[in-house]
Amino acid sequence: MTLTAWLAIGVFAAAYVVIASEKLNRAAVALTGAALMVVIGATRGHEIYFSAETGIDWNVIFLLFGMMVLVGILRQTGVFEFLAIWSAQRARGRPFRMMVLLVLITAVASALLDNVTTVLLVAPVTLLLCDRMALAPMPFLLAEAMASNIGGTATLIGDPPNIIIASRAGLSFNDFLIHLAPIVLALLVVFIGLCWLLWGRRLTYDPGKADQIMALTPRETITDARLLWRMLVILAVVLIGFATHALTHLEPSLIALLGAGVAVLISRQSSETYLAEVEWETLLFFAGLFIMVGTLVHQGVITELAHSITAAMGDNYALAAQGILVGSAGLSAIVDNIPYVATMAPLVHDLVGPAQGLPPQQQSLWWALALGADLGGNATAIGASANVVITGIAKRNGHPISFWEFTRYGLIVAAVTIACCVPYVALRYF
Amino acid sequence: MHAEQLAEQIPMVRRQTTAAEAAKVVAEFRLSGLVVADDAGEPIAVIPGSQLLSAVLPQYVRDDRKLVHAFDEASADELCHKLNTVTLGDLLDAKRITARKLPSVLPEDTLLEIASVMDEGNRPVIVVRDRSGAYRGVLTVSRVLAAIATAAGQDSDLVRHRLERDLIERAEPGYFGDSGSEE
Repeated sequence: MTLTAWLAIGVFAAAYVVIASEKLNRAAVALTGAALMVVIGATRGHEIYFSAETGIDWNVIFLLFGMMVLVGILRQTGVFEFLAIWSAQRARGRPFRMMVLLVLITAVASALLDNVTTVLLVAPVTLLLCDRMALAPMPFLLAEAMASNIGGTATLIGDPPNIIIASRAGLSFNDFLIHLAPIVLALLVVFIGLCWLLWGRRLTYDPGKADQIMALTPRETITDARLLWRMLVILAVVLIGFATHALTHLEPSLIALLGAGVAVLISRQSSETYLAEVEWETLLFFAGLFIMVGTLVHQGVITELAHSITAAMGDNYALAAQGILVGSAGLSAIVDNIPYVATMAPLVHDLVGPAQGLPPQQQSLWWALALGADLGGNATAIGASANVVITGIAKRNGHPISFWEFTRYGLIVAAVTIACCVPYVALRYF
Repeated sequence: MHAEQLAEQIPMVRRQTTAAEAAKVVAEFRLSGLVVADDAGEPIAVIPGSQLLSAVLPQYVRDDRKLVHAFDEASADELCHKLNTVTLGDLLDAKRITARKLPSVLPEDTLLEIASVMDEGNRPVIVVRDRSGAYRGVLTVSRVLAAIATAAGQDSDLVRHRLERDLIERAEPGYFGDSGSEE
């Protein structure tokens, strides 16, 4: 390797450590790292702007942007608040039933929206329900954070690591539904069982308090029914667009942008409203990260690493898939799974190539990466963005959840779900 | 007019005052800001009256404003009643409301000097302290504007009344009981 390649590794490693330490703003660190890559001469404008392999993957950036705009408008309708209160009323205020319905709503919403948005929508209404029922909200909030990470694993758009994997591996929305949705459904059943064991059996039902839930008026939370119906139609068309990629050959980012454009036109919301959900910092973080990882690809570092792994692994893909599954889960519990997957995706790409046309044994590496990175985030309070957001909301509302309180339950959930994925990967692909 | 002539005694609250009592003080005296006094009865900070509205809203409603529509009238009254169980100290500690420090002027400062201090930072209430730091009274925006209106030739019975009578004189004897009478 050249001196420039070694310098690029140094910049990347230093940036990674600072990002993992969470001492500085992660977008600022990623962009500084990207700038240093340019300064040391390891990459240039053409590689950064015009190649998804060695620079910014615009498909990922614009898919995230389009979905953020859609969510920004959809959340104005109050549909999530309605669903949560309505389901609590269907549960007749029975705490465990309420928990199960909230877990299911969170998981399904998380498969269609990003995890952070989902918990931001579900957590406040959960606090309202618990307040009315005089229940401690911690078990509900923990269950929702974990359900969002599990549900988000099911689809291409459910979790940012999946978007990166899909783009790098050339996997479609339907591929994710076929390969990950079935195991996620099974994991949800297992997770509901865990919810009973960890929290549900200790929840007590008070008929008097249940009346407090029945007194709520969920319909009132829907502030614009016309907009709601229009947005549901647009969302359905966008999902059909994702699912018909094989026919239309439209990139997911284009479909999301078209959907967002139509939603903006139809909703007539102000730019402050429809841009409110756009996390510019996250988009900049992705851009910086792509430049840093792309530089390593451009400098041949990733190829070198892949050669070394191939030499050690040979053609034992079963071991490689399980190693990636468990290893990714372990690392995602400690570091943010977005930079981890951004780094690993090019590596897996060099190991087995794009997913399309690969034999199942080799394709399993991509699915093991998605499962490990998405589900491993449940292990600790900092393992996934949704966990950080929910502990923040809990603290602000006077119900702090300590790192160890989260981790105590998170480790069990992550371990059980990953343990379920091990036989799934082994039986389905080998 | 100088600051000393415009200084008045106004109703004050303390950290121990409940949010419900504070709301009552704001309502009865039509205050724009709620002055918080220390144990010695000296004003130390001001809370904009509108901030008290946030005390009635649970944090989760402030996180997601649509939830407010889910409460019926009885539930809303229940939330208002909870203001009796939370003190201003609790709200300040939880950062639900923010107290701002009170700037001061000297007793001999002119109307223009007073206006300048109030205008800088948009303060509806400031205090008058002498050079030794001793507290001499409070200046409210309504009384300062009454003085400005008089100087501008816009005199009236109500303006004169505002200049002659302190806000606190509207209260019945013993009104402040446990919420911080200064006299």
